[in-house]
Formats: sequence, C-alpha cells, structure tokens
Amino acid sequence: MSADPALSPRRSLQSRVATLVFVAALLVFPAVYHNPFALHMMSLVAINAMVALGLQLLFGFSGQLSIGQAAFYGIGAYTSGLLTTKLGVPFPAALLASGVVASVASLLMVPVTRLSGVYLAVSTIGFSILVHLVLMNEEWLTGGTFGLIGIPRVSLFGYTLRNPAYSYFLCVGCALAVYAALVRLERSRFGRAINAIRQNEDAARSSGLAVTYLKSQCFVIAAFIAGLAGSLYAHQVRYLAPDDFTFWKSIEFLFMVVIGGVGSLFGAVLGAAFVVLLPEWLREIGDYRMLVFGALIVTAMLFGTRGLAGVLAATGRALGALMRRAAASG
Amino acid sequence: MDQAYFLDLLVGGLAIGCVYSLVALGFAMIIRATGIIHFAQGEVLMVGSMSGLSTLWLLPRLPAVAVMLIAMLASGIVSVAMEFFVYRTLRVRRIPIMNVITATVGMSILFINAARIIWGSEPLRYPDLFGTLAYTFAGVRISPQLVWIMVMGLVLMGILQLFLKYTRTGLAMQAVAQDPDAAQMMGANLTRMMVYTFGVAGIMAGAAGVMVGSLFFSFFQMGFIIGLKGFIAATLGGLGSLAGAMLGGILFGLIETFAAVFVSSAYKDGIGMVLLIFILLASPSGLVGLWKRRR
Repeated sequence: MSADPALSPRRSLQSRVATLVFVAALLVFPAVYHNPFALHMMSLVAINAMVALGLQLLFGFSGQLSIGQAAFYGIGAYTSGLLTTKLGVPFPAALLASGVVASVASLLMVPVTRLSGVYLAVSTIGFSILVHLVLMNEEWLTGGTFGLIGIPRVSLFGYTLRNPAYSYFLCVGCALAVYAALVRLERSRFGRAINAIRQNEDAARSSGLAVTYLKSQCFVIAAFIAGLAGSLYAHQVRYLAPDDFTFWKSIEFLFMVVIGGVGSLFGAVLGAAFVVLLPEWLREIGDYRMLVFGALIVTAMLFGTRGLAGVLAATGRALGALMRRAAASG
Repeated sequence: MDQAYFLDLLVGGLAIGCVYSLVALGFAMIIRATGIIHFAQGEVLMVGSMSGLSTLWLLPRLPAVAVMLIAMLASGIVSVAMEFFVYRTLRVRRIPIMNVITATVGMSILFINAARIIWGSEPLRYPDLFGTLAYTFAGVRISPQLVWIMVMGLVLMGILQLFLKYTRTGLAMQAVAQDPDAAQMMGANLTRMMVYTFGVAGIMAGAAGVMVGSLFFSFFQMGFIIGLKGFIAATLGGLGSLAGAMLGGILFGLIETFAAVFVSSAYKDGIGMVLLIFILLASPSGLVGLWKRRR
C-alpha cells in the first residue's frame, strides 16, 4: 500500500510541520487555558494515550489482541503507590519500578503468545480478571476495596509538583517520549519484523524471524509502557481503587486503539482523547450520557474503517488538494 | 465429605453451568456464522430477564414456562434487531472484524444504559417461579429452581440440536456457517440465515436470562459478567463448536461452584480463568481440539 504513511520511508514535510504544531499546541495549552480541571483531564488523556500507544504496538503492529492492558496499568499504579506511600521511595525510582514490575508480570503472558486471535484475547481477559481479584482481595497489600489512599504528589529533585500545569507537563512529556520512541521503533528492524508477523506469521517464521520471541517482546514493551502510565495515574489522582482497573478499563484501551485507527500511533492518541474527554463533555445530559457514548461508538464504527486517524488523513488530503487547486487557479 | 452437600453443589454447578452453556451456544453460533465476538450477548440476556420480570409484574400468575417463552421472544427480537440495524450494515460495508467487535461493545454499553433508564439501577428480585417445595432425591433435598433450570436448559439444548440436525433451515444455517459461498450456491439465503442465527442465539440468551433472574436477581449490569463467562465457556469448548460450547459452559459452572467452596470464594472467578489459560495452553483450540487430537 503506497498510501500508507506509516510505511513510507521518509515523512513528508507536512506531517513534520503538523507534528511540530501539535507539540507546540500541547506546550502552550496551560499558558492559554489555565483551568485546573481541564489540565487534569488533559493529563489523564496523556496517561491513557500512553497505554493506548503500547496497545497499538501490541495489536496494531504485531497483531496480538490483548484485552488485558488494564492489568499492567493497575500493577504499575499499585507498585508506584505502594513504593511511595509505604517505603518512601522517590518518584523517579517508583516510576521506573512500576514499568519494570509490570513488564516482569507480563512475562507470565509469554507462554500465551503462542495462542492466536480470540484465544489470546481470552487469556488476556483472564489475566486482567485475576489481577483485579488480587487487587481487591489482598487487603494487607493493596487496601482491598477501600483502596490505596494518601499517595503523595510527584516530587522531582526536591520540588513537589503542586501546580497542575507541572503535572500536566510531566504526563504530556512522558506521553511524547513514548510516542517518539514508538515512532522510532515502528521504522526499525524490529518494527518491520513485527509488521511481517502480523501480516503472515508463517511466512515471517520461515524467513527466519524468531516469532515467539518477538511477540513476547511486544507484550513486555506494551506492559512496561502501561506500567509507567499507571505510575503517573497513581500520582495524578492520588487514590487507587481496584475498580479503576477492571476488565472495562481494558476494553476502554481497546476502544482508544480501534476508534483512533488500528495501526496508527497518532490515532491511538486521538482515540484516548475521544474516550477520556467525550463522557466528560456529555456530562450535561446526565443519565443519557453513556447511552449516547455507546451509540457514538457504534456510529463511529460505521464510518471510516481506519478510525479517527483515517478521517484526519482524508481531511488533510482533501484540504491539500483544495489548496493546490486554489494555488493553481489563482 | 458429606454426600448430601456434594450433591447439592453438583446440582447447583450443573444449573449455573446450563445457564453458561446457553449463553455460550449463542456466542458459538454467532462466531461460527459471522466471525463476530458478540459482546452484547450478555445484554440480550439482560433484556430477556427484564422482560420476563416485567411480564410477571403485569401478570403475576403466569406459569414459569410462559414467562420463559416471553423472555425468549423478547431477547430474540432484540438480537435480530441488532443484526438487522447494525451488524448487517457493517457487514455490507465490509468493515474490518475488529471494528465490528468494537461496535458490539458499543451496543452493549447502549443497552446497559437504556436498561438503567427503563428499569432503574436497583437489583430486582424475581418472584418464586418454580414453587418453594423442595424435591427429595435419595434422601437429599434439592431446590426445585435448580432442578427446573437444569431440565429446561437441557431440553432447550436438545431442541436446538434437533433443529440444527433435522430441519432444512437448521441445516442451511450450519452450511452457511461452514462455507458461506458454497451454501449460497446451493440456494441458502445468506442474509436470512444470519437473521436466524442471531434470532436463535437471542432466544437461548433469553431463556438463560430468566434462569439467572430466578436464581439471583435481575440487574441492568447483570449481562456483562454472565456474558463474559459465557464467552469464556465458549472459548473453553473451542470457539465455534456447539458441542464444545455446551460442554464448556457446564464445565465452567462446575469448576466455579466447586472452586468457590473448596479453594476460595474470593477467587472463584480467578480459578476458572487460570484453568482456562492452562487448558488453552495444553490445547490451543479448546476442549474440542483436545478431543479431536485424541482420535
């Protein structure tokens, strides 16, 4: 497919400019609109976008459907929450530890990677349910259904980030770093290898790719990212309850990827914004909020198979064509 | 261990297993015919359960069988309506299967919240449908509910098997599920068979809805966890195999019931999951795969 921007070796000038404008917009957002709630919501979008990006790698790139990312997100959140509250570990160490613990937990999924399609998805659902049960029942560790309270704010190098704008920058910064890393990964040898696996596993294997190893690596990377995001989440909301990490949350992450557009990193970000912000915007209609949300998801699936990213690309192309035509005629 | 207690658990496990089997059958039929994991299957069940209950509010003296038939009808209609208005459009537009599955989750959210608006968010108790007089088997008293649920579940599954094996429509549905193109060339009407498939899946879920309602209660979110377990049971059996789905459901019900008593009630859902993962690892295509390999 020549139209696929992900596979073209060099990015066009427009997309570079678009990325630059997007990042700049994110950076000036707090200065322009300094509303603590809006900044909090945007931080949540960034956190969710990280998990969605990881899932995009797992599902969109390597073709492994996981409906259990909330498990790794939860493991990361609780690791960070417990390390900082109970052991007084500084935030940067806790952040890293969250990623590491989540990725170690994901090693449990290594045997499962040899399953395919729906069977893999069901195993990840099972894992997600198990982790939720552990969070709920091991009260000595996690506080059970009462949750984990009193998680400190993020403090970096002795400064506590009290200003919501600072924690916004932290979350957005982490999300951008993950985004940049995955963009690099997508075009690397590794990225091409997992792309080959998604398209035809047998062919990839016969071309000498260590399929199971590569697939497991995807799981570990996605879990590491989800763990980091979980840590940020723990310090953003400063209260953890097991019900934040149910199977529904995993479904939400999947929504982000599918609504954003399977296989598109930027789509995952758009999808995260859609899934996190839309229910907030719909809050005014009260009881009908989730009804409309469900209907919107069904409708979104009716239009555009490539998700929001596809819609955006189509709009961009149409605009470009329009501008070229305008330039040519006058 | 006490024999009476064991029998009690066995019947309880079989009864809840029958419920899972009915749901799993719906999943298996739909996935076989269309490839869709129909995540709204639990909500179809919930609609059946709620409709049965609403009918009982209007006509308290209605016999259990009639309530069940009404619930089956309601669920069947809802399921067919979903196919007709949503999934058919998606299929005609050749939307990728992952998007269709996401749409089914969207439908599920839609129905859960519609139900909350219609029936409220309180759990609703079912009146005693099957009488309160306990049956006695070999000196052991067993709740009539469990026995009836088991009997009705098995009868329904039997009827489904007969329908699929011995009627033209049933055979055509099977043929379409196996090879849509060939079946169409033999004169099977693909579109109509899809409607039938969703209809039958809905009917099974509706019956399961009344059963669950009478065992526990009706609740706008009830479909979610039961639907999930039904789906897992269908996977356990080997997706797309009807016999596997039935077996998977009953097995899942038994595992869950016994695990709750003998291992840990807090982790009863988890034990089923761990076993599921191990079974899938041993046989990546479910129980049916294991059986086929044996032969």
